[in-house]
Amino acid sequence: MKARLLMLLCCLSFPIQAAETLWFGEASAPRQLYIHSTLDMSSFRPLLERFVGRHPDIRIGYVDVNTQELYYRTVSESDAPRASLVLSSAMDLQLKLVNDGYTQVYQSDETERLPSHAKWRDEVFAFSYEPVVMMVNKNAFAEREVPRDRQEMLSYIRQYDDSVTGKLGTYDIRQSGVGYLLASQDARQADATWGRILEAFGSHQVRTYCCSSDIIDDVASGKLLLGYNLLGSYAAQRAKQDPALEMVIPQDYTLMLMRTALIPKNAPNRDEAGAFLDFLLSDAGQALMRSEELLYPIHGQRQASDEVAFPLGPTRTIRTVDLDQQLLVGRDLIKQRRFIKSWELALELSSED
Amino acid sequence: MWRRSPQPRSVLEDSLDYVHSPSLRGRFIVVGAFTIGLIAMIAIKLVFDYSERLADISYDRLLRSALLQIDENVGQSQGEISVDIPWSAFATLAQASDDRVFYKVESSDQGFITGYHDLDASPLLPVEQGTVQFFDRRYSGEIMRFAWLERYMTEPDASGTVRIVVAHTRLSREAMATSITQRAVHLIALVALVSIVLIVIGSQLVLRPLHRIEQQLEDRTPGDLTPLTLKTPRETYHLKMVINHFMERLQTNLAELENYTSNAAHQLRTPIASLKALAENARDIGKPEEQRAALEKIIGQCEALSDTVNFLLNQAVVSHRLQSQNMGLIDLVQPLQESCRAQALAAFRKGVMLSFEQEVESATIVGDTMAIEQMMQNLIENAVRYSLLEESSTPHEVVVRIVPRPNIYRVEVIDYGVGISDIDKERVFERFYRGRYDITGSGVGLSMVKDIADYHKASIQLQDTQPQGTTVIVDFPVYEMMGEQ
Repeated sequence: MKARLLMLLCCLSFPIQAAETLWFGEASAPRQLYIHSTLDMSSFRPLLERFVGRHPDIRIGYVDVNTQELYYRTVSESDAPRASLVLSSAMDLQLKLVNDGYTQVYQSDETERLPSHAKWRDEVFAFSYEPVVMMVNKNAFAEREVPRDRQEMLSYIRQYDDSVTGKLGTYDIRQSGVGYLLASQDARQADATWGRILEAFGSHQVRTYCCSSDIIDDVASGKLLLGYNLLGSYAAQRAKQDPALEMVIPQDYTLMLMRTALIPKNAPNRDEAGAFLDFLLSDAGQALMRSEELLYPIHGQRQASDEVAFPLGPTRTIRTVDLDQQLLVGRDLIKQRRFIKSWELALELSSED
Repeated sequence: MWRRSPQPRSVLEDSLDYVHSPSLRGRFIVVGAFTIGLIAMIAIKLVFDYSERLADISYDRLLRSALLQIDENVGQSQGEISVDIPWSAFATLAQASDDRVFYKVESSDQGFITGYHDLDASPLLPVEQGTVQFFDRRYSGEIMRFAWLERYMTEPDASGTVRIVVAHTRLSREAMATSITQRAVHLIALVALVSIVLIVIGSQLVLRPLHRIEQQLEDRTPGDLTPLTLKTPRETYHLKMVINHFMERLQTNLAELENYTSNAAHQLRTPIASLKALAENARDIGKPEEQRAALEKIIGQCEALSDTVNFLLNQAVVSHRLQSQNMGLIDLVQPLQESCRAQALAAFRKGVMLSFEQEVESATIVGDTMAIEQMMQNLIENAVRYSLLEESSTPHEVVVRIVPRPNIYRVEVIDYGVGISDIDKERVFERFYRGRYDITGSGVGLSMVKDIADYHKASIQLQDTQPQGTTVIVDFPVYEMMGEQ
């Protein structure tokens, strides 16, 4: 099976870039912890710095990896993993790692405190929420209404047919694990709408990206008018910094992912990984996510009266993706192959692209 | 004859006895608790098996449902079998919330289609097309529950079979079985505990009537032998009756003893009084010849008195021997011979010919020589006494005979005297009964004979001698060597 996955890896992903390791903490610290993560530095740096500040004896080597690559890397390194902690927003791939036996159990007071929907088998733990949003460049919408949901987006595309061609951006589901997850969840939530979105994207030369931040960059520069299916924490951060950007929380339904952490089976620094995970789940870690507006804390939703830094839409439209066995369906070999094929067909992309 | 306890017992011994004797209540409680414990254990074992089965049944339904949902989505396009795994199938499996899920779809023509390539999809049970089977098998380091299905492709241009396996870990099953078992075990333990407590309380209640009887007997004055009138439950009725019956017998025995004592006193007092009268007479008589005659009378009276006293003493000695002496192997012929030899002269003086007829050389029995001699003495004396009552010109004759019979030695004492009436025959062995009061004798003779015979497990009967007289027959069981029958 591993061979087959590796084969898939070759087909579906770009060659693994030699990701550089960023170091946090004292070089002389006696303990070391490698974290492989999909989190952008801008969202994660304060958390890492706070942690090594509290644990001066631990030095963290942080490697930023794309969700899909992260999965294959964890599988291929399963005998002697480099990373002791794996953080990813691609819930389905994380869950598949657990299901297929690549992870180990971790239990602590902090993990016990987590609600049961935010963990599975005590092997994968959600530490933050991630609403899935759209992002628009406000300058382009000076005289037009900003679309508030998918229907409005579709009618907007129809209406301004030519002016939006080549100016829409979304994930490349072949490259990005989380992109695939979002697309498959969209198809599951509203199959007809998804079909029409695909059709509209295809006929207007949608641009595909590996990562949320790249899409946001292009929306900010005006290269794109609208980005679809972006991770909310990045979008919110950038919208706050850049007045030209507006984050749109789709009103028809909002997908809600969870960022999850797991410890690979033969992880060399299990204790340090546990310590860091506990920090992420602790009140201090969660408060830091909220106060610095880094991420949507997993414990945050309970304090609705708080001055919530990241406003979410009405909760009835939120579709939280369950952290359970259903995620495996999207990753079924045939289903995945067929889904990507139909995506490529609709977007008029060739497989070799 | 009464049995006495061998030795007087000390208070310490009694209390030791009390401590060491098994407790009825304790036994009741132990047996009850043991039984309840056993039942509880069996029940727990059953619940254990049952809960596992129940969990398997429940979760097998999930597995079957998921499998059938996948099966429904097996289709064919462009000559190729394909499957679109439905989300709902895994939503079903997600109800076993923490269980890892594996699946595989393969066909006879295409081989592996989707799922986990290395999942062992071979059936464990005999294959029946279109029927789901369940079994446990190891995969990915854990025991998994498998649902397995193979069916023929039904599409018109399709051939061969498609095989679907869905497996998940047993975590939820075990959790369910454990929770059922736990609850049941708590319940069973509670019931068992309550039952044992009830037994403890119940045993107290059940035994209370016995304590009441005990208390009433304890409270009685020493001479009170009236029946128990206590109202007690039906189960103790027989005990009460037996106690009452026993007290009745005790009372009878006491009455007999009283009777015997007064009789003995009478028998001693009368000869002593007459002895005294005779002696005074002799003192007052002037004539030497008459005085001599009176003295002869006194001597005769003394002899009779001596006989009586001897008799009473012998009885005491025999009863003591029977109670304290162990019996041994003896030759029955010897005491018979000895008795005849000892009595022959005395009988002859009274004009009775005593003869001993011996048809065996020796006769081994288990017994006590002295007791048998005592018995024979009584029997011979009686025979002589009864012979003399018969007026006859010819000399009286008494025959002692020993005859071997199958398994027994029969001893016969035959006289040709007046005989005993049939009514008396039935009663002569009773204590203090006296056939005829015109004959001297204590009236205890034959009852002692009976006691000694009983003691030797010998049977005793009275028959008439032809043409007249009485034959006493005593049958001693032959001693049999071990192993010889």
